[in-house]
Amino acid sequence: MTLQVRFRWKAALVFGAAVTALAVSGLSHGQPGAPSPVGSWPAAPPTAPVIQPPPASASAVERGRYLVTLGDCAACHTAPGGTPFAGGVPLNTPFGVIYSTNITPDTATGIGGWTPDQFRRALQEGRDDQGQNLYPAMPYPYFSHIAAADIEAMRAYLMTVPPAHAEAQANRLPFPLNLRVLIQGWNWLNFRPAPFTATSTRSAEWNRGAYIVNSLAHCGACHTPKTFLGGDQRDKPLRGGELDNWYAPNLNGSPHGGLQGWSTDDIVAYLSRGSNDHAAASGSMQAVVELSTSRMSAADLRAIAVYLKALPATPEPDADRPDPQKMRAGQAIYTDQCSACHGADGSGVAGLFPPLRGNPGVLQPSATTGLHAILAGAQAAATKAKPSQPAMPAFAWKLTDDEVAAVSTYVGNSWGNSAPAVGRDTVARLRARIAAHPIRLTKGPV
Amino acid sequence: MALRAPGFGVGTMAINGLSRRGLLSAGVVVGAIPLAPAGAETFHRPPDIPWRPDAAASPTVPKRGDDFLYFTAVEQAFVQAAVERMIPNDALGPGGVEAGVPIFIDRQLAGAFGAASDWYMQGPWAKGETTQGWQSRMTPAQLYRAAIAAIDDAVQRTSSTTFAMLPAADQIAFLKRLEAGTASLSGGIDPAGFFKVLLQNVMEGYFADPLYGGNRDMAGWKLIGFPGARYDQRAYVTTYGKAYPLPPVGILGRPGWRGTEG
Repeated sequence: MTLQVRFRWKAALVFGAAVTALAVSGLSHGQPGAPSPVGSWPAAPPTAPVIQPPPASASAVERGRYLVTLGDCAACHTAPGGTPFAGGVPLNTPFGVIYSTNITPDTATGIGGWTPDQFRRALQEGRDDQGQNLYPAMPYPYFSHIAAADIEAMRAYLMTVPPAHAEAQANRLPFPLNLRVLIQGWNWLNFRPAPFTATSTRSAEWNRGAYIVNSLAHCGACHTPKTFLGGDQRDKPLRGGELDNWYAPNLNGSPHGGLQGWSTDDIVAYLSRGSNDHAAASGSMQAVVELSTSRMSAADLRAIAVYLKALPATPEPDADRPDPQKMRAGQAIYTDQCSACHGADGSGVAGLFPPLRGNPGVLQPSATTGLHAILAGAQAAATKAKPSQPAMPAFAWKLTDDEVAAVSTYVGNSWGNSAPAVGRDTVARLRARIAAHPIRLTKGPV
Repeated sequence: MALRAPGFGVGTMAINGLSRRGLLSAGVVVGAIPLAPAGAETFHRPPDIPWRPDAAASPTVPKRGDDFLYFTAVEQAFVQAAVERMIPNDALGPGGVEAGVPIFIDRQLAGAFGAASDWYMQGPWAKGETTQGWQSRMTPAQLYRAAIAAIDDAVQRTSSTTFAMLPAADQIAFLKRLEAGTASLSGGIDPAGFFKVLLQNVMEGYFADPLYGGNRDMAGWKLIGFPGARYDQRAYVTTYGKAYPLPPVGILGRPGWRGTEG
């Protein structure tokens, strides 16, 4: 893999300007090389997140702001570079493109005129102020578990953000999916609203984690496999699912592809920094980390980790030994194209390039995440603790379907990894899907 | 955050809207970013380091195949003969023709290089030094066309045939006179200047990445032991006295990528 160095005049200008600033500040101090207050790089950030949750005594607005972070509302309701919470973000669903709506307190186009009960119904029942069904791209099946007091605090906060006039954009859904009345049938099949109930045999920390994971943070929206209707397969909670041409990995305690090998510290590090010694966030998880988990308190991250670590392992079938010729081809490609960053032994470079040995992303029953990264490239999340964003370039232009299949198979079956072999047809299909869906949750509209 | 640089485009030093004052102002703005209050948490997305999905610094891959895009049949004959004399097939390995050098030059002349598309090609036309780069008013494609015609014209006058039809020894002798600048060419063609360009392009065709049409089967790289488009040699930095184990690889791969070779 080559480090991507794209020379653009804008980037060159910014770089040149930064150099100029350093030079100018250095001159003004008369001490070339001495650290200057103007041009100096920020001090190394602390490795542990220092975010404090608002105390119980905080105002509803302050608590609501933190809860809106836990719920990652911004990922869908704030367009990259757009007005916060003004919506208009296109969401790639298997059924078509759905646009998020304006949740600023603008009375004409936002939720400024909504009553507290209308707001609560939107989150808990999936209905707008007119009583119309919301598409379940809005994760109300999860939000139905949010405590009423938390919902009221979220509303209190959202009423304080600057109102923005932004009309809802028309969804691009084929008939008959454009008929909202169908959602009632979907709800009847898939929607099981219920208040969150604590499990008395578990610790307060576990219960806090269960609450965040299953309500506000709606982790299952991606990590729980879906039925053909897009509903959760409720018997497989957080067992991993395909979304937006990425694969959200299994989060239970399975040894292969699950989190058995991760400590709670590993999980906290991943969620707060965007990467850890095992993996780096990619795909939709990048925005989740940037906008939500990296802004959660240490206690809440730990609660999430404790809850996830308690999820039981599920039996997994052994993958067949892949074809030796495919493995030979894959090894040749890996040596030439991947090993410089990910290491000849798949160990990566700590803090920079994720390892592939034991990386859950490559141990799933579906190779979609790795294939997507190979074809389209990937970029690390930017977090306060880890602001730099090492990137992987796209290889779609130089690797054939056979070559991508071979190298993916090799990575999935080397250094102790075991994953199903990848066929060229799988690569060809994903290549076509990626090309046909320029909208990606990953980076917003291009 | 919008990066507003008030000095942009102002002043006599402005080049493409970029002035020294603008650069300094932008520098101050960029340099000041770390001083922004750290407590100001918003839901703005973090500023991205520029990156797009699907982006890659991919080269322009010329048309594959053995059919010539630029050279006429007569020109092909000249180029094949000249390349065969410059890098003959011998005990060391394939010659320039087997390695696809004529196709490489053809693709280059049919593309951006041939059209001098990113060179300054206007006057003034002062006589430059040989150290000063391209000195012809013609583009490379025009130069090849005119020079080959002039060479065949010169051979016709003395030997009543074309360069390609000369015996090998005579071809070598003529190439030497080209190189020395003693061949007399019509149309004001500088013989030494053309020879220099031809030799340069023949070497490029023999050693450039195979995706450009030459260096077939990485023949040039195998000859000199060049590992190709590899960029991480850390594992071999201290393996003194041992042969380098990896086969050469082109930008678009090697036979091993198909699992057909170790």
